Amino acid sequence: MRRRVAVSGIGTISALGDGPGATIEAALAGRSGIARLDAPFAGRLLGPAAAAVPGFDGAGLLEPARLRMLDRSARLALHSANGALADAHDPLADLDPARAGVFLGTGMGGTLSMDAGYETLYGEGSDRINPFTVLMGMHNAAAAWVAMAHGLAGPQLTYSTACSSSTVAIGEAWRRVAAGERERALAGGTEAPLSCGSMKAWEALRTLARADADDPGASCRPFSADRTGMVLGEGAAVLVLEPMERALARGAAVRGEILGYGTTSDTGHVTRPSVAGQVAALRAALESAALDPDAVGAINAHGTGTVANDRTETAAIREALGARAERVPVSATKSMHGHLLGAAGALEAALALLAMERRAAPPTMHLRAPDPECDLDYAANAAREGVEAEVTLSSSFAFGGSNAVLALGRGER
Amino acid sequence: MSDTLEALRAIVVEDHAVAPERLVPEATLEDLGIDSLGTIEMLWRVEERFGVEVPSNPPALATLGDVARYVDELVAAREAAPGPRAPDDPATRA
Repeated sequence: MRRRVAVSGIGTISALGDGPGATIEAALAGRSGIARLDAPFAGRLLGPAAAAVPGFDGAGLLEPARLRMLDRSARLALHSANGALADAHDPLADLDPARAGVFLGTGMGGTLSMDAGYETLYGEGSDRINPFTVLMGMHNAAAAWVAMAHGLAGPQLTYSTACSSSTVAIGEAWRRVAAGERERALAGGTEAPLSCGSMKAWEALRTLARADADDPGASCRPFSADRTGMVLGEGAAVLVLEPMERALARGAAVRGEILGYGTTSDTGHVTRPSVAGQVAALRAALESAALDPDAVGAINAHGTGTVANDRTETAAIREALGARAERVPVSATKSMHGHLLGAAGALEAALALLAMERRAAPPTMHLRAPDPECDLDYAANAAREGVEAEVTLSSSFAFGGSNAVLALGRGER
Repeated sequence: MSDTLEALRAIVVEDHAVAPERLVPEATLEDLGIDSLGTIEMLWRVEERFGVEVPSNPPALATLGDVARYVDELVAAREAAPGPRAPDDPATRA
């Protein structure tokens, strides 16, 4: 029999803030974390806007000699994992360490460290590359450091499915806890993609937004006719998953519940999203949660702010939810925290859970002029209050056609 | 105390927050909290500081004194070799 799985703790850091409280408050207030990028290479970018986490360097996470082995992405992940465990109030007490696992997603791993290594080799013409480049660049480093820091001896897995990585990580962790295979999981994702090499690569693909000249914070405008693309962001989010029965028995303040998870592949074009693939993922999530479309109270959209995504996703939501699509707020929070790539799904799942707790739906900011082909209720420009959603779908649709959707349930906190 | 050991001590103090009085030649790297990765990092710093090239498979180095002697050997080998001096070599400074 499948067990109910609680989210008993949330840890996150992003341009919206540090910790679940600051993060949901910023999102509901519509405060954009996107700004003009402050980096030496910003002048080389056509659209130098980004959602950075200024001031964070991970100091104090580990002793300095160890911390030097961690790329920024691993530091963000460890910070969020620590926060999630604190939020869950000691969920690992009296637990066999082998019964707990780490499941993290990342799209670009330690790309900042790889970029720095290439700068040394090719930019400076030096052979003196940092000896920890492999340790910092490897995609599984973040999960490894989280497992080491907390002695989690069960599976330590890293998922890299581009922009759906952390939605997949949470879904795969949920399956294991629901099946009784594990008693606890730390699940989420991390990304620190604001290097010159990575940003130029995204720019070359013609995906990045122009920085809004008047208001850089409004550079990402999902579902708005005047959108110009996505804005890259950095950060991490980690959820503590545990059996609902155990969470309630130990008196945990439950943040919410994972109800279901669906993942599909477009099998078509490598970047152009497919309505059919997204519909299949949305339906798979509902089916795995044994829910009808009418149970859905809100959606946290993939909502990147590209024409292809916004129109495809709108059509997919209409097809998957039918008449219900007219009656649910669809939030594109990337308008505020940017696109965290492999961490996006985890941050958005966290926001979806926290928004249900607050009986609200976060706004899709900067929706100035609705695209006629995007005609759902996007909670435009102001948080929707009094939303009695008990189920929120959180979607991630990745390059490569790897789609993943989580069905999330409201908690009691 | 040799200049080499003095320079090594400065690196260890900076990278590992070890009290300088513990940095005697007999101190083992293990006791100083410098594991195999820490040793690799230290040798990388040594390359820059002393203008030497550490080979792919350096010998096992147990103590700070072992490292200092090894660095002296690398410096001596470099001095004996023909070709341009490394940029950090004091002898090439104006």
